[in-house]
Amino acid sequence: MSVGVGGAGSKLASLLDEGHATIVDVSGVELEKVEAISKIRAVAHSSKAQLKGSRKDPQIGREAFQSIKNKALDMIKGQTVFCSTGGGTGNGLCSVMLEHLSGMESISVTEKTMFAFVVPYAQRESSDFVDNTISFLEGPVSKAIDAGNTGNLIIFSNKVKFEQRIPEKTYNTMIIESLNHFLSIPIKGEELKQLDGNIDYEDFCLYKTKPYFNHFCQFDYNQNLPFGKQLKANFNELLLEPEGSIEALFLLELPNADLTNSFYSILDYFSEEDVSPMYSVLYNPDLKKPLITVSLLYSRKPLELVDDFNAISGKHKRNRVKKSLDQYVTLSKLEVDLANEAEKVWKESHTEGDEVLNVLKRIGKL
Amino acid sequence: MKELFDKQVALLKDYHFLILYWIAKAESLHLRYNITNVYDDLKHLKITRTKQNAVAYIESLTTLCFISMVEEHNRKNLYITNYGAKALELLYSQNIYSIKPSNFLEG
Repeated sequence: MSVGVGGAGSKLASLLDEGHATIVDVSGVELEKVEAISKIRAVAHSSKAQLKGSRKDPQIGREAFQSIKNKALDMIKGQTVFCSTGGGTGNGLCSVMLEHLSGMESISVTEKTMFAFVVPYAQRESSDFVDNTISFLEGPVSKAIDAGNTGNLIIFSNKVKFEQRIPEKTYNTMIIESLNHFLSIPIKGEELKQLDGNIDYEDFCLYKTKPYFNHFCQFDYNQNLPFGKQLKANFNELLLEPEGSIEALFLLELPNADLTNSFYSILDYFSEEDVSPMYSVLYNPDLKKPLITVSLLYSRKPLELVDDFNAISGKHKRNRVKKSLDQYVTLSKLEVDLANEAEKVWKESHTEGDEVLNVLKRIGKL
Repeated sequence: MKELFDKQVALLKDYHFLILYWIAKAESLHLRYNITNVYDDLKHLKITRTKQNAVAYIESLTTLCFISMVEEHNRKNLYITNYGAKALELLYSQNIYSIKPSNFLEG
């Protein structure tokens, strides 16, 4: 079961679990919009939050967390939490969850939570979203990575959505489909005939509890081409591009059992990268070409992400200030001689006093 | 001496400032300005209602040597001294009081 936090997170969780997710929001109106088996309203101190949500203010989400603290920390154990990093509710509530997890000494493997974040596309989305994301990555995410008390962290980006002009619902479906490719690995292992290797539920769950960024992708595998090139060309566009992997996992589905040995060249590639992947090779008669699902666990400093966001956010802010100046104020270059101006002001305020001086000069008493 | 002068000027009030100014102004206009004129102007500006007060203000300025009183044709005409001119200049530079028109000179 998944947990959706905030508006965007709720929609994704509901899609993944087909209406059987748990969703959390500060706005009752937002909760009504999404189908879910369990709906939890976090109470914000502001009465307006019930109707208006947290209005991009993560502080409202943070304050609202206190009202659901025990329930929330209990329900995310061993689950996947979805949230967007740009808004107020998802960002605020998830920040406190991550900070709480970071503060714990250790968490058992079965209770580790996998987080899926949706980050805004800085060149198209509101600068408030970008600023909120920067503080989220710099603070709670950074702490969580250091503490290592979370499961995989998956970062979806809205880049493709805006560049390819995809409607939100379609894009959310794409995200969930892509995630399902990864999550269905152990299910396929049970359903299809095994040719080599094995990834069972336990292995897969253990893999999901490792506190690294997870990048997964699925593509048709051509055993005659180098695997590394194919992997690079087929990175998942919905996710941030991975850096050098620490651990990996792949599922190779073959339409023909005679091709079984083709997975060795994949192992060769990972061996060159000093990674020993978990793998499973299955026979899938429904396919025409070999299909591979790969997951790479990598550790990327969130500060590098923050640098990217900072650069774009700074540019946005400069442009916005310039635009408002162009629009409302015309500033001409003013050359001011401060000494002259001061004398002028002094004279203006002493016009009557001058008369006193003139009188005294006229009578020759000065 | 300078210290004493500054102290004397610091003790002057707005009516002293006005009297000094009016006397100087009258002199610059070649008009005779006497105690009665001072009393009339102060009364006109509602600064005082009694001639005794006007005389007291003038006597204090005379004692300080800021003005001199000269008996001319049975009138006690007033003239500003060099010290008085300096006192007026100093008061003006301190920007404490503002000048008000004399009804006799400008009315």
